[in-house]
Amino acid sequence: MPGIEYLLEALTPLNIMLALGGVIAGTVIGSLPGLTATMAVAVLVPITFTMAPASALILMGAIYTGAIYGGAYAAILLNTPGTPSAIATTFDGFPMARRGDGDLAVTLACLASVSGGLVGSIFLLMLAPPLADVALAFGPVEYFWLAVFGLTLISALSENNLLKGLIGACFGLLLSCVGVAEISADIRFTFGSQTLLGGIETVSALIGLYCIPVLIDLVATPDKHLKVTHQARGFRFLEALAISWKYKLGLLRSSVIGTLVGILPGAGGSIAGLVAYSEARRVSKRSEHFGKGEPEGVLATESANNATVGGGFIPTLVLGIPGTPPDAVILGALLIQGLRTGPNLFTGEGSIVYTFIYGLFLATLLMLPVGLVIGRYAYKTIITVPKAMLVPTVAFMTLIGTYSIRNNISDVIVMITLGVVGWVLNRFGFSPSPIVLGLILGSIAEQGFVQAWTIGAAGEDLTGMFFGRPISLAIIAFILLSLFYPLIRKHWLGSKMGKVRAD
Amino acid sequence: MFMAVLFILIATAALWDTTTMTDSDSYVFPRAIAFAMIGFSIALIVWNLLRPQPTPGTPNPDTPTRGASTARRIGLVAVMLTGTLLMPWLGFLLSGLLAFAALMVCSMYDTWTRSRTIIYSLSGIGIVIGFYTIFAKVLLVPLPTGLWFE
Repeated sequence: MPGIEYLLEALTPLNIMLALGGVIAGTVIGSLPGLTATMAVAVLVPITFTMAPASALILMGAIYTGAIYGGAYAAILLNTPGTPSAIATTFDGFPMARRGDGDLAVTLACLASVSGGLVGSIFLLMLAPPLADVALAFGPVEYFWLAVFGLTLISALSENNLLKGLIGACFGLLLSCVGVAEISADIRFTFGSQTLLGGIETVSALIGLYCIPVLIDLVATPDKHLKVTHQARGFRFLEALAISWKYKLGLLRSSVIGTLVGILPGAGGSIAGLVAYSEARRVSKRSEHFGKGEPEGVLATESANNATVGGGFIPTLVLGIPGTPPDAVILGALLIQGLRTGPNLFTGEGSIVYTFIYGLFLATLLMLPVGLVIGRYAYKTIITVPKAMLVPTVAFMTLIGTYSIRNNISDVIVMITLGVVGWVLNRFGFSPSPIVLGLILGSIAEQGFVQAWTIGAAGEDLTGMFFGRPISLAIIAFILLSLFYPLIRKHWLGSKMGKVRAD
Repeated sequence: MFMAVLFILIATAALWDTTTMTDSDSYVFPRAIAFAMIGFSIALIVWNLLRPQPTPGTPNPDTPTRGASTARRIGLVAVMLTGTLLMPWLGFLLSGLLAFAALMVCSMYDTWTRSRTIIYSLSGIGIVIGFYTIFAKVLLVPLPTGLWFE
């Protein structure tokens, strides 16, 4: 194992304390709707300035890992992804909570996150430099098709109505164009409003479209928010362990998918969970149960999005290109520490990097007891707190969390407005996920599209540019598969049933 | 059906706005998306015409409809909007406390007994002040202080 001599350095009492503290802080911050993993890392980075580089990295990695896992709590218990990477966890996590299995869902999320985090860290340890070359092979046109892939995936996943999902995705893409255009600095879709010049902020849209509709429906009836059919059965750890063991191959596959997708800078973090979920649904024998509270769904998404932690560090450390927004913050902190990223980082500053990677292993393992305890506490709080306290508290957190992103009242107004829009759209069968993902991936899709268009037009080979490169063709094949596979499968199953009946 | 028409209108408004853009790089992407949106909306209308739904615009089964109070729903949104708009004048802490209290009233379905009133009010005040302290004093987020405390 490379760098094994640095394992002991990672296990000093200070580093263990930092890993534990970081995981706890990250989990708590990530679980609050309105606070994201990026915010968690950004807020705690100044503490690292006076630390040794390896210890600083361990703290930031632990916070990041905890925050990505913490996003699952709000997703499962409040149908609000705490971080964008937890969007896919709402598909099965919230239905599980609604039927009384919220504690099981939270424990499953913990186990899956630990497995995903470990797989991501192993890839980071063993394969960082060669995998970084893969990230370099992706050019603007590949990024455009990757964004389209993410959007078609989420449309295909949205409640059996593909067209509504695609319309939602287009709406999200248009929303991402509001404000000043990145490419040419034209002002778009503000219709004269000064407020919209800054564009629509992703997190305020995320909270608005997911959390506000939940709050609107919570106040409407006196019914309990989540069904509680039995006395609290502890962690339901053995039950969750049995389910995880049953789906161990799926868990491994989702973790690998999460790591590989997480390597791609920018797009990776948001869509890794979706790709893993879609794949798990495709190969599962219980695919019709996905979206209605299937444990396999929660396992797939949570393992993938914690695997992006390790995966995202690969381009960050080897290429100096941040894999996800928290990686960008961590990269900044590394530069302040004087660390030069690049392929020579592993050979030149091996002591720091390997100590950090083993520290990441440690933080991921510590997430198991920490996550189980905090998760149980979170679950008990949500089910016992009366509605008259739950609604104002969550509403207040959304207000303060949204305001803190850009210190701007308009973001809060936009959040509430989008919340009402989202509630209305929900009533007509338009799910918020494609809209949010369109908003997140919009700038990546547009940059890729315009750059590819410009290069193609300059080389007078537009079709070749968009449809001629091998990686693009592979992604296009995946797009067609995700769009048409459900239809083919229905048709195939239908003809099979017909044959059986005829026999 | 209604939503599909609405989306066609939105896409048309977007297309109209792109005519004001000077650089071709700015409008090529929004135009492509707007055309795609119009295409999908037309496909949705055609799909709905070919396969009539039992009830048009079937609402999401998770959304409660029976006995749902519209007044409280509107109340929640109104309180949140008012609270946000008042923040620059009253300051974050004061408008937060008022909004919290109003939201408590909106979402209260049990009777207001004396102990409940006291416990809920004290917890609410604690939560608002707690979050305010963490964000304004520990994280140094410049929350609005209002005209009273300038």
